[in-house]
Amino acid sequence: MATASLTGKAVGQPAQRVDGVAKVTGRTRYAGDVDVPGLIFGRCLRSPHPSARIVSIDVRQAKALPGVHAVLTGTDVPDVCYGRLCRDIPILAKGVVRFVGEKVAAVAADSVEIAEAALELIDVTYEELPAVFDAEEAMRPTAPVLHPEKVEIGPGAVAGHHAELRMYPPIPNVISHLTLRHGDAAGALAGAHRVFEHSFTVPSVHQGYIEPHTCVVSVGADGIVDVWVANKGPHIARAHMAVAIGVPEDRLRFNPVYIGGDFGGKGSLMDTILCYYLALAARRPVKMAMTSFEELTAGNPRHSASITLRTGLDRDAKIVGIDARIVFNAGAYAAFIPGPTLHGYSELAGTYRVPNCTIEVLRVYTNTVPRGHMRSPGAPQVAFAVESHIDMIAHELRLDPLEFRRRNAIVEGDLTPLGDRRRHMRCRETIDAGASAFGWDKPKAPGVGRGVSIYEHPSGAFGRSTVLLTMDKDGRITILLGAPDQGTGFHTMAAQLVAEHFGLSMSEVEVVQGDTLSTDFESGAGGQRLTLTAGQAIADAAGKMKEALTALAAERLNCAPSDVRVGPDGSFSAFGTNIDLKSLVGWAASRGKAPFSAEGQNTATQPDVTGFVAHFAEVEVDRETGQVRLRRMVTAHDVGTVINPILHQGQIEGGLVQALGQAMSEQIVLKEGAVITAHLGDYKLPTIMDIPELETVLLPGGVGPAPFETAAIGEMSNVAVPAAITNAVFDAVGVRLLELPISGEKVLDCLNEKAGVA
Amino acid sequence: MRTVTLTVNGTPVVREVADNRLLIEFLREDLKLTGTKESCGVGVCGACTVLLDGKPVSSCLALAVHADGGAVTTIEGVAEGDRLHPLQEAFLAHGGFQCGICTPGQILAAKALLEANPHPTKAEIQHWMMGNLCRCTGYYKIIESIAAAAGAA
Repeated sequence: MATASLTGKAVGQPAQRVDGVAKVTGRTRYAGDVDVPGLIFGRCLRSPHPSARIVSIDVRQAKALPGVHAVLTGTDVPDVCYGRLCRDIPILAKGVVRFVGEKVAAVAADSVEIAEAALELIDVTYEELPAVFDAEEAMRPTAPVLHPEKVEIGPGAVAGHHAELRMYPPIPNVISHLTLRHGDAAGALAGAHRVFEHSFTVPSVHQGYIEPHTCVVSVGADGIVDVWVANKGPHIARAHMAVAIGVPEDRLRFNPVYIGGDFGGKGSLMDTILCYYLALAARRPVKMAMTSFEELTAGNPRHSASITLRTGLDRDAKIVGIDARIVFNAGAYAAFIPGPTLHGYSELAGTYRVPNCTIEVLRVYTNTVPRGHMRSPGAPQVAFAVESHIDMIAHELRLDPLEFRRRNAIVEGDLTPLGDRRRHMRCRETIDAGASAFGWDKPKAPGVGRGVSIYEHPSGAFGRSTVLLTMDKDGRITILLGAPDQGTGFHTMAAQLVAEHFGLSMSEVEVVQGDTLSTDFESGAGGQRLTLTAGQAIADAAGKMKEALTALAAERLNCAPSDVRVGPDGSFSAFGTNIDLKSLVGWAASRGKAPFSAEGQNTATQPDVTGFVAHFAEVEVDRETGQVRLRRMVTAHDVGTVINPILHQGQIEGGLVQALGQAMSEQIVLKEGAVITAHLGDYKLPTIMDIPELETVLLPGGVGPAPFETAAIGEMSNVAVPAAITNAVFDAVGVRLLELPISGEKVLDCLNEKAGVA
Repeated sequence: MRTVTLTVNGTPVVREVADNRLLIEFLREDLKLTGTKESCGVGVCGACTVLLDGKPVSSCLALAVHADGGAVTTIEGVAEGDRLHPLQEAFLAHGGFQCGICTPGQILAAKALLEANPHPTKAEIQHWMMGNLCRCTGYYKIIESIAAAAGAA
């Protein structure tokens, strides 16, 4: 509960990052920098086929190579499959391979070079089997079935309200089939004045973190398994590993390391379990670092999706119902995500007043790279479809796309399309603030187009957060927590929140990330959850510590605890006598009562406040080449209290540019199931040359669900950007792109087609 | 194997290295200077950027023997003791990094820029820095940081 009052001495300040000096001097330790005595290096051999039976594997020559300590194949490791919900991925392929890049054998050797030389000596005979790459094709009765055996499902396959979830239904290759209904969409569409239907395709993109997946595993003589891994949720990763390898959680120590970018992609164990078995076999600690090639071809990129939307309108161009269907291509394994499907489906009816809504979501196996989570999983795919569809309807009705959105925008008092009630609905206000800064109505030059897109999402709320605050005899506080900082600045935010609760300066607060043996369960980073859940855990601990301090103050001031007043500067007073925090703690220490600690915890509850964003893009299209130049953007956000303006703006800018990549240049290109955009020369991340002029608008008077009215920002700016740009391309030259990314080639083809038709 | 004689962050180094030893392996594994990061391995991302005789090079492509007789600067050699370089101060003050994995490369590339062009325009900063990818910041704050350091230097 947001009960503490804000002084703004710490929260709201552009405080320097607590991990900052180490990061600018190269002293920060990432998993790849971990060195332990006796460390050797693991590499793995991967399948060249999308679907094949392994006939035989001969590892004799590899084992004989000097410097090789262990060679493993599927028969050398336990016959278990693991996963974050669906436990379907083997440690090494067993009998069959299901995608190009699947791990078939692994080597641990004195150096990476020797390990790679050994891989070349492994002789695998395959018998190729039929494969399927397209998700719609995979659902046909004649399609080859990837996982004919029953897949074990861990705890957590829960459908939300208005939802019917079927795991592994009798449709070929379907992992999950979710149907959500609010109202009567079929009836509403049948009675609608007009119905519009459009379909969209969004390819897979990679998270693009600069640090590839890396882990080190060391099996100690004391039975403790030490793990250093670039993973955003060490306690959850530990739980999954414990189940998979049959070692109790209290024998697994996940040690803190900084993470070189996550963007949703580093929530799985990736190579960690294989690394453990290599370490066991070699009796040496082993490091495994994926190459960038492996990341792009065999990581866990964003799900590709195909989406169809049908929207009915009444005579006043108001939406009466939406019927939506989305098919997510999950690739060969479902193991990489913690839920049955991707939460982005909940945005399929957009940020609009939709009284009747049906959403069907299918997640499907194919013989392609397994897909995982990426920043706001599922939402960019969905937002591209919805915000293109809405734009197309507006244009067909000859309405201004902005006005059409305003007319249908969700407002205070409305239920969301799926029937949730939220307060502080500032959708129109966000659109208007952005439109005004952008100059939506201002004249524009020929060849220039403008587009808008909007998105709504509440702060993430799931899992559990814990912190331990310890105050020393000088009144300084150490925050022990279990959640890593993957770059968002969470550790700095935690320090600012604690400083704010106690009226301390940042230099009086220290953040320590503990290992999984020294900290309580913490769900970790993800789904923009830490601002809310960890923020509340910190408030819980601060409240308890203040209670203890109040009792001490009462003792010191010879009064009852109820007589003590706590000032915003952290001082205590009663009946005109005042004692500051340091004097109080010093006094307590002299009586053997300090240091003292307070634990805080929070189990997430769904917030009733949400956040809105509106993006505006201006493009210039070259009719000769089809090239699209993004001239400028305005991004407007309805936010809560900003904890740290530098970090907050960093999330907005970083997310927006990530979305620009998805809009303009990024695509995991598959050929016969194999990823052919296999290095960063072919897979085009945005560079510093590719960014537009950008203006950010933050609506004043923000309200948030977390302490001090704060709210999450991490997954707001990266979702709806692509549609703002494709809508601008349509405005510029009348070309409607139904598939990402935007390329000059696609635009030119459409221009030529239009010219031919005309 | 060859003997290489060079300075690394001002310190003389004489080592035996294999002919095919990459500069990044030499720095990270032989000299334990792990501030230099490897990512793409093909000279595209710039994470492994170090300075060789003041010029930025991708240490994932350069061989250690290329540095023979030269002066290498890594991120560990940018600050003078506890006194941060103006670029490091600016990256801290302006939020020029988040996860930090590309930051050593960014700072070294920017250091070479400011030595070649002490007062770059925004466009000049963008042209010079286009070989250093960052996935966290969206680059705006990197530009701000470098511009601020140029003003302070």
